[in-house]
Amino acid sequence: MQAAHSPRRLPALTFPSFAMLASEQWLVGSHILTALAALFLGIFLGPFQAFRRSPFFMETFTDWQIPFFSYYYQALTVHGVINALFFTTFFIVGFSYFVTQRSLERPLWQPSVAWAAFASIFIGLGLVLYAIMAQRASVLYTFYPPLIAHPTFYIGLVLMVVGTWLVALNLFMTYASWRSDHPGEPVPLAVFALLTNFAMWCVGTLGVAAEILFMLLPMSLGWVKTTDSQAARALFWFFGHPLVYFWLIPAYVSWYTMLPKQTNSKLFSDPLGRVAFLMLMIFSTPVAVHHMFTDPGISMVSKAIHTFFTFIVAIPSLMTAFNVGAMLERAGRKRGGTGPLSWLWHQDFGNPVVAAQICAMILFIMGGFSGIIQASLTLNIALHNTSWIPGHFHMTLASATALTFMGITYWLLPLIRNRALWNRKVALGQVYTWLVGMLLFGHGMGAAGIAGAPRRTDFAGSPAGYLSVEAIPWLNSAAIGGAILLLSSILFYVNVIGTLAFSTKPVEDEAPISTTGDPHAPLILERWSLWLGIMFVLIVIAWGPVFAQVFDFTNGFKSLPFSPMGSPMQIK
Amino acid sequence: MHIHKLEQYWFIAIAAVLGAFGAALFASILVFGVQVPTPVSRIDPQQISTAFPEPGLRDLGNKRYTAHFTAQTWFFTPKEIKVPRGAEVTFLVTSKDVTHGFFIEGHDVNLMLLPGQISQAVTQFNRPGTYNIICHEYCGAAHQTMVAKIIVTE
Ligand code: HEM
Ligand SMILES: [Cu+2]
Repeated sequence: MQAAHSPRRLPALTFPSFAMLASEQWLVGSHILTALAALFLGIFLGPFQAFRRSPFFMETFTDWQIPFFSYYYQALTVHGVINALFFTTFFIVGFSYFVTQRSLERPLWQPSVAWAAFASIFIGLGLVLYAIMAQRASVLYTFYPPLIAHPTFYIGLVLMVVGTWLVALNLFMTYASWRSDHPGEPVPLAVFALLTNFAMWCVGTLGVAAEILFMLLPMSLGWVKTTDSQAARALFWFFGHPLVYFWLIPAYVSWYTMLPKQTNSKLFSDPLGRVAFLMLMIFSTPVAVHHMFTDPGISMVSKAIHTFFTFIVAIPSLMTAFNVGAMLERAGRKRGGTGPLSWLWHQDFGNPVVAAQICAMILFIMGGFSGIIQASLTLNIALHNTSWIPGHFHMTLASATALTFMGITYWLLPLIRNRALWNRKVALGQVYTWLVGMLLFGHGMGAAGIAGAPRRTDFAGSPAGYLSVEAIPWLNSAAIGGAILLLSSILFYVNVIGTLAFSTKPVEDEAPISTTGDPHAPLILERWSLWLGIMFVLIVIAWGPVFAQVFDFTNGFKSLPFSPMGSPMQIK
Repeated sequence: MHIHKLEQYWFIAIAAVLGAFGAALFASILVFGVQVPTPVSRIDPQQISTAFPEPGLRDLGNKRYTAHFTAQTWFFTPKEIKVPRGAEVTFLVTSKDVTHGFFIEGHDVNLMLLPGQISQAVTQFNRPGTYNIICHEYCGAAHQTMVAKIIVTE
């Protein structure tokens, strides 16, 4: 790939800073608008779930149900699957196309493959939604067997995953052709990060693909009659932790490479940013048993190994805190912040794009610490499957990622629509209500979890005395947080619709793209075979024993066949 | 690759924080004896009635007990056990159908129950009162009703 200047070197494609090329507008626009439409379905359920889990609310409005849903877990499945799997995927793919084409100043390898991928993920979304709304797939977004959903649910997920593999192929090939045109130059940091993201994703999805294709789909179709839940959980979580970073890395791309432009500052260190992204990729998989600490079929040794790597994988995020923090310090000092700390409040808090990212970081710091706590094997015993866990990931996934994506929407949607953001004040209101609402919600959920409230439970239908009394006030305060988040979500969509339909002013925010990497970034960081090789070795070390155990190779590859009452269980 | 002085200090701080967490983790296992579920044994879930002991409490003497539970949609068997204060109970639990949870509110017992796997935890009850055992893994429509009780007498 290090070929000398090829004679067919593509001329650099120039992209307008305040507008989009027509092809770009269609492709990026379709992805981002589908993502926002999906989030619309998912996000409004969140507050209603919080209400339904609040004893005060349910005593006041007895028998209240989540609108349009007859059944709490059906709504929760939509909320989890749509928000966590489809909103994120569509947004990340659209954003990655935008960033890759512009940073590399060239079109995608194959636009037709990009459209095929879009169609695949889109049909996948349709099938999954159909299965859930037809009450055939209330299995939540983790779909652990022996709960079995309708086949359309699994086929939809397979189409989604296959679509993302096509996306990855397209990005890798685009990079490869840039690479051969630019020997000796480091790739722009944003693209570097997205490459680690999709490489990690391709590895991680192998687990869930195997789970669905070999276990769940055949069972749902009635072709096989048995399943093994420990093996399925291991395959699911092989995917589950890379999934978490798949959501996070694009937000980091915005913090590392766009926020410096938006705050008129400079990143502290581009090469250390690359190291952080490589670490996230390499250590994303050998940590995932921390989701299964309380599982009976996984040995203490495996649990300890994965705990060790979990501590390691905190390092890139702590490096990010430094790198991005130093960048913000520079920004704050330029705006008149002096002294050791005052740069903190001399930020551009009146700019919704900046404010969204800073608020996302504030929430992420709390989410990150709660993450280290729950990953500590022994503390996990107190917290596993309590509402502490959704408290944690609403600070990370639903804030670090989703709030950053909203901030991105505030400049990207105008480029797609070719009009300014409809109302910056409304956007600011949205950001700050999200911060306050999420602090209340996350804290309430966390405290309720410590007091013993389980997650994924429709308390409204529980027998008296089920819920520990200490948890009740915290579930109520989480519901107040939920109400504030409902307001925030409404403000977000008012602006989205306003920008699409009513905005008349020309685009104000420039596309925050750099087309070069730091020339000091060592090229060895792009020796992908080396890093993927290390990742592979760690996977073998950390996962070999787990799979050997759950599939019981010593006993001649005997898993534990299990058939729930003879036939696949249809949960209504 | 050049690494700035400040960033080097930061690396040291990172190492210190993570080291402290790691040390706390080992202390909790070695000194305080917190336990994490580890594999006990596996059974053929089709044969639960023969391969798994009759659910219920067994007195081993010296205030030591074993309690066998099964979970199925949407109840535990037995529904209630009574032990005296100070009892040390070994729980051995399995699921008869889907994934369930076994979580004793206000206690350090937190297990996933998978068909075909036996989950185990040992704990001591020093305060009299009634403790809920709740299923804390989604297991279908009436998941939120799945509860059993431990009554700790004086
Ligand atoms: C408007 C703000 C939101 C509120 C008030 C909210 C509320 C909730 C609540 C109360 C639960 C837990 C229900 C339970 O355990 O029984 C939950 C679960 C969840 N939420 Fe949200 N949510 C919001 C936004 C989001 C966003 C933006 C995302 C992701 C992009 C998200 C992803 C999830 C996921 C993945 C689950 C887990 C579902 C499961 O356990 O099966 N939420 N949410
Ligand atoms: Cu259950």
